[in-house]
Amino acid sequence: MILKIAWRNIWRNKKRSVITAASILIAVFLSLMMRSVQLGTYKSMIDNVVGSYTGYIQIHENGYWDKRSIDKAVVMTDSLMNKVSNTKGVEALLPRLENYGLLSVGDLTKVIVLNGLDFEKEQRLQDIEAKLVNGTLPKNPKDIMIGRGVASFFKADVNDTVVFLGQGYHGMLAADKLHVSGVIDLKNPALNKTTALMSLEGAQHLFSADGIATSLVIDKKDNAPLKSVQKVIAGKLDDTYEVMNWQEMMPELQQTILADNVGGLLMVAILYMILIFGIFGTVLMMTQERKYEFGVLVSIGMKKGKLILMVFLETIILSLLGVLVGVLLAYPIMLWKHYDPLVLPGTEADMMETFGFSAEIPFYIQPDLPMVHASLIFSIALLVSIYPIVIIKKLDPLKAMRG
Amino acid sequence: MNVIKTENLRKVYNEGKGNEVLALNGLSLTIDKGEFTAIVGPSGSGKSTLLNIIGGLDKPHSGNVFVDQVDIIALEENERINFRLRNIGFVFQAYNLIPVLNAKENVGFIMLLQHEPKEAINERVDELLTSVGLENQALKRPNEMSGGQQQRIAVARALASRPKFVLADEPTANLDSKSTAALLDIMEQLNEKEGITFIFSTHDQRVIDRARRVVTMEDGTIIADILQAN
Ligand SMILES: Nc1ncnc2c1ncn2[C@@H]1O[C@H](COP(=O)(O)OP(=O)(O)OP(=O)(O)O)[C@@H](O)[C@H]1O
Ligand SMILES: [Mg+2]
Repeated sequence: MILKIAWRNIWRNKKRSVITAASILIAVFLSLMMRSVQLGTYKSMIDNVVGSYTGYIQIHENGYWDKRSIDKAVVMTDSLMNKVSNTKGVEALLPRLENYGLLSVGDLTKVIVLNGLDFEKEQRLQDIEAKLVNGTLPKNPKDIMIGRGVASFFKADVNDTVVFLGQGYHGMLAADKLHVSGVIDLKNPALNKTTALMSLEGAQHLFSADGIATSLVIDKKDNAPLKSVQKVIAGKLDDTYEVMNWQEMMPELQQTILADNVGGLLMVAILYMILIFGIFGTVLMMTQERKYEFGVLVSIGMKKGKLILMVFLETIILSLLGVLVGVLLAYPIMLWKHYDPLVLPGTEADMMETFGFSAEIPFYIQPDLPMVHASLIFSIALLVSIYPIVIIKKLDPLKAMRG
Repeated sequence: MNVIKTENLRKVYNEGKGNEVLALNGLSLTIDKGEFTAIVGPSGSGKSTLLNIIGGLDKPHSGNVFVDQVDIIALEENERINFRLRNIGFVFQAYNLIPVLNAKENVGFIMLLQHEPKEAINERVDELLTSVGLENQALKRPNEMSGGQQQRIAVARALASRPKFVLADEPTANLDSKSTAALLDIMEQLNEKEGITFIFSTHDQRVIDRARRVVTMEDGTIIADILQAN
């Protein structure tokens, strides 16, 4: 009954209610769109970095990430591998062996980073084959795959021979003739100019580092919380190892995201501040012009608690109506732009790709986003309801009826 | 048996502000069950103040009010609201229906607040709508009815929960003479049929003529109290 009266009261002043609900709708719609793009961008940035570069979590020998020296490498003992693999939330363990060296073709020489990967396992994180411009993945231990920039520097192509010269594990000499099996585009000019990939075995052999990896990349299950998986693994290992998450390995990315995120949240905050005043205005008028009626209701025996409930329901219903329609309008667009992502135009796309990020931005569609905004509006409605509650609590029916 | 008993009511407005008004000055009044009483007197004589205090909407500065032996001044707010709900029917001068409810819902509203069962409400509402002659207006909202019709609905609402008595402060002030007569017919009928006690204030001689007891006030006291035959 109270609900019925509240519902009818909302439609007493149709215009005002529609305007109020519409302003909530627009605020929710805009916030959702904005946040969906933003969070989508972050997610795509993180996925990019995490996917092709760092993974979520890496295990190194303590100090490796700072020094990047092959001498600070991990010996992959069975006990170590088992300990980590058997951790809850760990999907797979991807060993990588990374080292610097000189690559030459004819008179030309260039410093490159040579990365030994287990291509089969690596497939879990990134589709390397899709990044091939030419040729195939390394099949033999002496096959090497070079970045686009490296290839154009040497004017080299598939089936050419290159010479690698560098230092192996514990000062061993690492030198060999290698066969270019493929050219790869890492979607990042800086990486393209300096990267070469080999099979893990090939790299281990080249660097005299059998059974050794510089980093063990952990692919975690999607729903496993990053920090707790990291903590559990760190707890299992002694302090000759370091267990780092992507945020620790790439603090700049984390900071960029945080800074940008603050800007977005500020916008949302401003939007909602304006909304608070809008809703408050409506509730204020609704309350003021109905004081007489409230007086009558209390006089004939309606308890103030019920009256408060009625007015409270009016505000909540009006707000939820706005939220609901806002979400219903925004969500299909978010879904659409998630599966058919926004592609950044020219210069911005170049910039993103320069930093190693994709120019495609799939919108963020996790249900926590609309949930958060719905509860924000709900809280605003609660906050604004304080006014009629105070008015009704203080209401003297006689005074109210005298006007 | 008395339903209402006031003793030595004193009510002062704007106390200590220089423009003090003594609205009730030691007023004592007893009203018995089944009375049909008019409170009359010049404007400002304290009629509304008296009715408001009897109805528990206002408090006197001193004196006592007993409704059915209950000292209503001593009740705290929610108890008093509840007491009104169960014992007193109100009819105000104007505009006292709930605008978003239709006639039927307005009449049933008080019983709803009392958590009466649906069938009982429907039965009583139909009966009252017939009594006030508005059974064919049941689905109209207040703004679709005339002032007289609205007041008849208000009387029906006041009676729905079979209160001990009905307080009406100038119920006919906004009505033309035809509507006034119709409203009084209904009040009289309900008074006789259901034994409901009616107390109403008025300036209207035609209304005064139909009361069985006329209490005349001036400057916050009773100056005449007569029974009249009609
Ligand atoms: N809220 C108030 N504040 C100050 N004075 C008031 C207030 N209410 C009533 N009064 C004064 O108290 C006195 C009695 O008022 P009351 O309304 O009871 O008179 P009344 O007999 O109902 O008059 P009327 O016939 O005009 O309705 C008047 O002098 C009035 O001015
Ligand atoms: Mg009056």
